[in-house]
Amino acid sequence: MRRWRLNRAAILASTPLRQALGLMALVFAILLVTLGFAYVALRSSSEDSIRADLKQQTAVFQVAANPETLSVIVSAEARAADPAERAIAFVLADGRQVGNVHVVRKSGQWVIGRNPDFPALSQHGYFTLVMPLAGGFLVIGESQAPIAELTSTFLAILIFSFVPSVLVSAAYGAWAGMRTRRRVSVIEDTLDALTEGRLDARVARSAIRAARGDDLARIGARLNVMAATQESTVEALRQVSADIAHDLKTPMQRISVLLSQLQTELPEGSEARQLAARANAEAEGAVAVFHALLQIAQIEGGSPKNRFTPVDLGALAGDITELYAASAEEAGGQIALAKRPSGSMMVLGDRSLLGQMLSNLIENAIRHAGDAPQITVEVVARDELVELRVRDRGPGIPEAERGQVLQRLYRLEHSRTTPGNGLGLALVDAVAGLHDAQLTLSDNAPGLVVTLGFPRV
Amino acid sequence: MKILLIEDDATTSDYVSKGLREEGHTVDALTNGRDGLAQALAGEYDVMIADRMLPELDGLSVVRAVRAAKITTPVIFLTAIGGVDDRIEGLNAGADDYLVKPFAFGELSARLAALARRPQAQAEQVVLEAGDLRMDLISRRVTRAGQEIDLLPREFALLEFLLRRKGRVQTRTMLLEGVWDLNFDPQTNVVETHISRLRNKVDKPFERDLIHTVRGAGYRIEG
Repeated sequence: MRRWRLNRAAILASTPLRQALGLMALVFAILLVTLGFAYVALRSSSEDSIRADLKQQTAVFQVAANPETLSVIVSAEARAADPAERAIAFVLADGRQVGNVHVVRKSGQWVIGRNPDFPALSQHGYFTLVMPLAGGFLVIGESQAPIAELTSTFLAILIFSFVPSVLVSAAYGAWAGMRTRRRVSVIEDTLDALTEGRLDARVARSAIRAARGDDLARIGARLNVMAATQESTVEALRQVSADIAHDLKTPMQRISVLLSQLQTELPEGSEARQLAARANAEAEGAVAVFHALLQIAQIEGGSPKNRFTPVDLGALAGDITELYAASAEEAGGQIALAKRPSGSMMVLGDRSLLGQMLSNLIENAIRHAGDAPQITVEVVARDELVELRVRDRGPGIPEAERGQVLQRLYRLEHSRTTPGNGLGLALVDAVAGLHDAQLTLSDNAPGLVVTLGFPRV
Repeated sequence: MKILLIEDDATTSDYVSKGLREEGHTVDALTNGRDGLAQALAGEYDVMIADRMLPELDGLSVVRAVRAAKITTPVIFLTAIGGVDDRIEGLNAGADDYLVKPFAFGELSARLAALARRPQAQAEQVVLEAGDLRMDLISRRVTRAGQEIDLLPREFALLEFLLRRKGRVQTRTMLLEGVWDLNFDPQTNVVETHISRLRNKVDKPFERDLIHTVRGAGYRIEG
């Protein structure tokens, strides 16, 4: 249930919300472009019509032949017109002016100002037309208010069409995001459970049925099929292992029992008794090979990781190194734990399997690294990894054969005569795989370096 | 000791029964899980030995049922199923120990002896002794016949483990589990090497040997 508590980041990262936001941006862009074009076209056509209108108006004034008559006409027109809509002014040659506005010439341009006897000017400015007439200048201005209205109408259209679409698509995106997030987390939980070895975990039917036949439902259904297949495979392997274990080990047990009994029946120190002891030892060897093969198969078949605990790899390396120190010295060699730097060497795993893995590496080195094996064990923290290294100064492994030695029962030509069953490194490989550790064999010049990179806790 | 043995393989059953009787124990041997469970619930045993693959009722179910009935008698599994998780599964079912077939009789015998003694509420001992050997657990000093013996930490732990179980055989695997906390069987004779080093310090300079090798089984310290 922990995953069902949805955090903001998870919803923002969800595909549906991202798609909704993307779509929204696209709609906005299209709207902006089309409305923009319409606006520009409408604006220029209404500007044109205003200017044409302006020109037509001048016709009325052109009939006046002298300034006095024109002044009278302008005064009459000015009284009838609201300066906020239309400004009219006539400047006579002597500088006097009539009209509903007061005009001033500034650097060759006529600027419309307020005439205190008339109402206020247009706030949006004017399209002006200046015409020399009857020895003076006639200035007519048409307010730009229609253009400003046009602009605010377009802005209103933009806002009214955009805001609802933003709200609707954001709400839909969040809703779909949450819904998908829930269903994805059901699938993720199932995958986590499967990874941890709970092979009976399945995606809940409700999550698969929610939206009949959509992609998530199909993935969920397929995951269930896959999990069922894996479960039955593992179960079959377990069954086969148990059967083999029982059917083969029981006779082995009997052989061992009979040989032990035979041994006690025979006179002490006799050759026959020694033969019985040797036969017993051989039977034990066969069982050991068989046991190791079963163990590797079980580990590779998916041993559950849910019982993993934090293991201090540094401490474990110390223990195992100490365990083998005396044996290495007896073989005329030496095993040393390189001084480990302070800091956490914790990895998540099975202490017993990790111990066995390290033992196999050290036993290999003692066995194959010559008469006086010099072995160094190191544990170092590197970035996100804890690296375990076992070095020896023996003959090493030719590069071409480094991959093959990890296979079961593979033995190098020169080591065929030494004891061992060719399963040690295969087990190391299986344990490394179970722990998501990277296993590398390299040259110690001379000798072999086995490196295992574990993910750090 | 009164021992219940549930084992369907006649050869193994006879061998175990015979060996245990020779050691002076009383053995009731049964060949299927159902009878075994009935007998476990009825009789009072000091220790039980059970196979995991049994006809009628498997060993895990037998042990679970025994534990559900609040019977605390120590149980050891004696089984061919020896995978990584199987051991944990067996112990989780309520067994006290797990021995994988094929096994040596000495191993079984030593483990049974350890199990039967397990619940003893040991008074906090401060000094462990065997003959003229003395181990002071507080000052962590070891002396023999008044002579100081210098031991490495692991040698001290090994000697302490043996002294706490004075007179009882401890096998290689029991020592690996108890002293090193490892439950796998190394191919090399690591335990032997450690015992031999311990002997060099504890026994060699003196006349009488305290650490004894029990053939085919393990080691024992005697007073």
